[in-house]
Order: sequence, then C-alpha cells, then structure tokens
Amino acid sequence: MGAPKIDQQNPLLDKRFVNAFIEGVIKTLSLMAQVEIEPGKPSIDSQFKPKGDVSGLVGMIFGSMKGTMSISFPKVAIFQVLESMLGEKHTEIGAPVADAVGELTNQIYGTAKTTLNQMGYAFEMAIPSVIQGTITVSKYHNGATLVLPFTLKSGATFYVELTVS
Amino acid sequence: MFPPSTKFLVVDDFATMRKIIKKVLTELGYTNIEEAEDGKPAFQLIQDSKASGQPFDFVISDWNMPGMSGLELLKACKATTDFKNMPFMLVTAESEQKNIVEAAKNGVSDYVVKPFNAMTLKGKLERIWTKHNTKAA
Repeated sequence: MGAPKIDQQNPLLDKRFVNAFIEGVIKTLSLMAQVEIEPGKPSIDSQFKPKGDVSGLVGMIFGSMKGTMSISFPKVAIFQVLESMLGEKHTEIGAPVADAVGELTNQIYGTAKTTLNQMGYAFEMAIPSVIQGTITVSKYHNGATLVLPFTLKSGATFYVELTVS
Repeated sequence: MFPPSTKFLVVDDFATMRKIIKKVLTELGYTNIEEAEDGKPAFQLIQDSKASGQPFDFVISDWNMPGMSGLELLKACKATTDFKNMPFMLVTAESEQKNIVEAAKNGVSDYVVKPFNAMTLKGKLERIWTKHNTKAA
C-alpha cells in the first residue's frame, strides 16, 4: 500500500474526499430506505446555513483540520424517506423524525469516514446533533461551504453541506 | 432458519434503528420481539426473561451506545452460563478490522455493518442459525 495522498490544505477540492460523502448518502439511503436519489451539481456557499427544515450535523476532526457535515431535509423530502424506510407517514417534525435524521447522519458519516480513512485520513466517530428550523453556524467555519444537492425520484431535494477549515 | 417463535431482543439507543430491525424481522415472520435502549437495561431484560421462564433466543445489539456498549453486553452474556450460548449479533457503523476482530474474540455470532438492507440481515440470521446448529450437532 502506497503512502496516502491527502490534500490537507483544502480537502473540499479533492474529488475523492467529496465523492466519499456522495457515495455515503447514496449507499445509506438506497440500503436503509430503498430510495433512489440523484446527486446534483455541487455549489459553493459563503455561509454554512443548513437549507432544510430538519438537519443532522456532525463535527469532523483530523489533525489540525476541523470540519462539519450536515444533511438537511425539507419536510417533504424527509417524510418521503421515512415512509419508505419505516413504513410510517409523518406530517410534523417531532422526536421520531429527529431520531431518524440523527441515525441517517450517523450512518452517512460512518460510511464516508470508512472510505476516507482507507484513503489515509483518520477521522473518528462522533455523535451527531439534530436541529430543527434554520440556523447559521459560524463556529469552526472560516471558509466556504460545499453544498451537495440530492434529488429524490419525486423531485424533492435535500442537501449535504461540508465545511473544512 | 430460526423458527417463527424465536424471541428476539433488539438493543439500540436510536429508536429508528430498532424500528428498522423490527420491521425486517416482522417481514421475515418473527413477531416475538422486545426492545431496549441500552446495554444495561437489555441485560436486565435478558436476566428477567430467563427468570420468568421465557428467555430470549437471540440478541441483536448496536455497538455504540452511550451507557453500556454492545460489546460490553456481549461480554456480560458470554460471562453468564445461562446466556453464553445465546446467539448474539452486533450492529455497527464501524467497519474497521479492529472492531470486527474484537467482537469475534469475544464470541459474537456475527455482525452487520450499517447501512444494510433486509437481504443482508436475513443472510446473517441464516448464517448464525447454521453456525449454532452445526455446533450443537
């Protein structure tokens, strides 16, 4: 096995780093919720501001690198995912929805982390937080946010947002 | 394969994972399923069920839990004569070799790495059934 090639200056510019999260989302949602999703075109946002109604956040630390991953769902998207995953119909974002978003965040980060650590990173597992409503996170953030959109078959879109500083 | 009357205990701090595992078990024809949120209440339930004459036949436990972990629960079961032969499957988001080796060293029947689908869980149950019945033969 050769020495890992890690772009510690800005991993968001490393396609393999970003792909680990895209693949983590697709794998987790296709296996656990049997939903087909289509990744969209990534964009850069100047603020780290989860775009949906409910979001799971997890902090990522590797050496001097600090980052955050969030997965943010509008109501319509998370309700569709949960109906397929659990056979439950939800109309409000309450504790069961928040629990599910936390678990999905955990699994997506866990899947991406395994891929990243095989590339030479050494991320640890972390406990996700779930937030409802919109917030702007400034802590740990002094750069841009990479926004990765994903679209469900119905057309509903949710977002994974990555920051690294 | 395990008979439909098999009594399962599903242990996970996330209600969502407990629901998913229960949903898969129900789809496979199992209806005798109980839940616990952590290793400690799970071990109490295992002991109480044995004492009441209706012991669990199978434990499916998450690895990472804030109180007593799945590995600690596995060790507690293996250290107790009444439960040491009870099939025990760990569910983990960590696919690193060190965890798998540690679980195997402590006598886990098998493990499943999240995310997984119903087919994977069914395959694991079949493997565990074969493993335990081959041993007993």
